[in-house]
Amino acid sequence: MSTIKDITTLDGWAQHLSSLPPSTLLIVSFNAPWAAPCAQMATVLSTLASEYPVTEPPSTSWVSIDAEELSDISESYNVTAVPFLVLIRNSQVLETVSGSSAVKVRSAIETHAKQSAKPDGEQPATSTNGSTATVDMADASLAPKDAEKQKEELFKRLSDLVKAAPVMLFMKGTPSEPKCGFSRQIVAILRENAVKYGFFNILADDEVRQGLKEYADWPTFPQLWIDGELVGGLDIVKEEMAGDADFFKPYSAKANGDVPATSS
Amino acid sequence: MASSSRTPVEDTIREKITAELKKRDATVSKLEIHNDSHLHAHHKAMEDSTSGETHFRVVLVSDAFESPEYAKKLARHRFINGLLKEDMKREGGIHALQLLTLTPKEEEERTRAKEAAA
Repeated sequence: MSTIKDITTLDGWAQHLSSLPPSTLLIVSFNAPWAAPCAQMATVLSTLASEYPVTEPPSTSWVSIDAEELSDISESYNVTAVPFLVLIRNSQVLETVSGSSAVKVRSAIETHAKQSAKPDGEQPATSTNGSTATVDMADASLAPKDAEKQKEELFKRLSDLVKAAPVMLFMKGTPSEPKCGFSRQIVAILRENAVKYGFFNILADDEVRQGLKEYADWPTFPQLWIDGELVGGLDIVKEEMAGDADFFKPYSAKANGDVPATSS
Repeated sequence: MASSSRTPVEDTIREKITAELKKRDATVSKLEIHNDSHLHAHHKAMEDSTSGETHFRVVLVSDAFESPEYAKKLARHRFINGLLKEDMKREGGIHALQLLTLTPKEEEERTRAKEAAA
């Protein structure tokens, strides 16, 4: 599974660019560490990255850049708001996605990852938000907000976050290090059924932890969401499986004939 | 009830559920409340807890769930969570609540399936 590499210097960036074979899809995430939507985008991207096996030559390369620290790079790609995603292949910008819509980001990456580079080069560059690029950081404004507006924005981010993957698990800890018995059990069930899923560690983000309880109208974790809808916690998942052994079939790697390159 | 109970939270759970179902004129063919707190007492999250009443597993069989609004498990769990909202929100209250919610018919099917598998 691929991971996201942090680029911290202009040299590092130049080096990375020149090291990539022309067929690799380079996924560049511009962020600002102080902006909450960027933290959530980081989760969405690391979930996505983990679905792409590391190949030789690499089919995808994932990097993260602090938009303010490396402002020269941001300027050259017209980054005016964060989070901002740029997709590059063979030194050509294929598409950019501005904003925190997990759905838009996922679909842009999946679209371009499927197409391998045509040897004779020209790929049209598209920008999904070309007309709305504004000077203020649209998703990470510094202006003080009143509590209601903040909540509205939090709920909007949550509604994107629960759709970050078709099967999304909000748990305590991570699948490799669950910090709660119920979270551990639910991970085991997903693994047994070879389910492809994204996860979010709610212990790492109290805003999401408390916000999601309200958004979901559900007081506890783990929470399993499928296709943007809450299924429930461990006990409901167990009950659903008891009632229907094929409950997870549509989301299982086995069903789609994919064999995971590495075991999770 | 002059004497104070040693299991106030468990009592609350029982009282609230039975009272609400009575109000709805529904049956309660089974209400089991298991206190699993001791299984989690050593967890970091529980280190400041002294109540011994933090983790519960409840089994409820009632014909209230035959109503179409309770067709989905999520709705049934939300119903019970709603009754116990304050107890779950309260500091030192219910930390974890496992629920098994069944209609009498579903319980019968389950028992039959278990016996068949045995």
